[in-house]
Amino acid sequence: MVIVYDPKKYQILNQRIKTAESILEQIPAKHCFISGSFLYKDKYNDIDIFVISRTKKKAALKEKNVKLQTIDFNDLHSLFYHSIAKSCIAKNILPAKELKVTIADYWQVVSEAIPSLLNNKNRFRKTIRNLILYTEYLISDDVLDSFQLSKKIEEFKNFSEVMDYIQKNVPAAVLKHIKKSYAKRFFYTQAGNYKSATEYDSQRVLYSIAHQITKGAANG
Amino acid sequence: MIQKNSKKRIKGTLHQDYDIEFLGDNFDEITKQLTDSKADKINRWIEEVILRRIQPITIGSNQKYKKWPVNQLLIFRYPFTIGNSEYRILLVKVKNAIYIEFHLGDHKYYDDVRKELGVKKGNY
Repeated sequence: MVIVYDPKKYQILNQRIKTAESILEQIPAKHCFISGSFLYKDKYNDIDIFVISRTKKKAALKEKNVKLQTIDFNDLHSLFYHSIAKSCIAKNILPAKELKVTIADYWQVVSEAIPSLLNNKNRFRKTIRNLILYTEYLISDDVLDSFQLSKKIEEFKNFSEVMDYIQKNVPAAVLKHIKKSYAKRFFYTQAGNYKSATEYDSQRVLYSIAHQITKGAANG
Repeated sequence: MIQKNSKKRIKGTLHQDYDIEFLGDNFDEITKQLTDSKADKINRWIEEVILRRIQPITIGSNQKYKKWPVNQLLIFRYPFTIGNSEYRILLVKVKNAIYIEFHLGDHKYYDDVRKELGVKKGNY
């Protein structure tokens, strides 16, 4: 018996529930679950399995195409956990913790995503999951599940569309959630950091966004 | 052969007086598994880093990582696979100066280093 989390009611393929159950039974942990494309796509690459545990010990599974990831109990407040657990098949009722998202966390995601995106222009979809998840949450207050997130990412036809999305939405997402005085201070410092490495395109883009946020905060 | 030569080769490519540190829990085991073509690809990536064609990750924090202020570091990341296993290289440079660390490890090691550097705080 497994627990099916499917708030949209139509997403999870019925035939995958039995397979998920047999996989989860092999894992010697109370809290484990399967999320991602295996649940809702006819064709999938890997089965994404998550184990909530304090130890990093990995279970040996019969299936070959599985990706097993351990989530620490301290990370249950993260947007990542809230997203993957929103639509999933779990061995037991999953533990719930209040979602905590900070602008400092978001900015780390942005700072890491932009260089990765510029280094992988042809395989851009692989590098933007966290960026889109955070940005959409901060703009709409809605946590996208794996299905919604993949759909959103597939809407981008090319790298330039992602860059346009970033330029338009990242400053707006920050300014919606941050005190103007803090925004000015925090992003002024960040902009200074990027300015000292403007020989790199990624740092120029980050500088421009940080500058845009500082200006937006100053103009109210 | 590749394992023995890899550190020497990387040092030769970087061509600096400072002795870069090679770090990673299973550094030697991983390099043993590298084919010639994978080792060549890594070396070409290092050359691209030197030519400033690879975008770095930076951290806007005044905290220190070992003896370096974090905001003075540039972090270059190279993911690759051997069989079904995913590995990451992190090459750490001091802005406009020297390369200080070459990390090689699996996803868990990579996450630990990111946390140490302040690139990643939690499981996001």
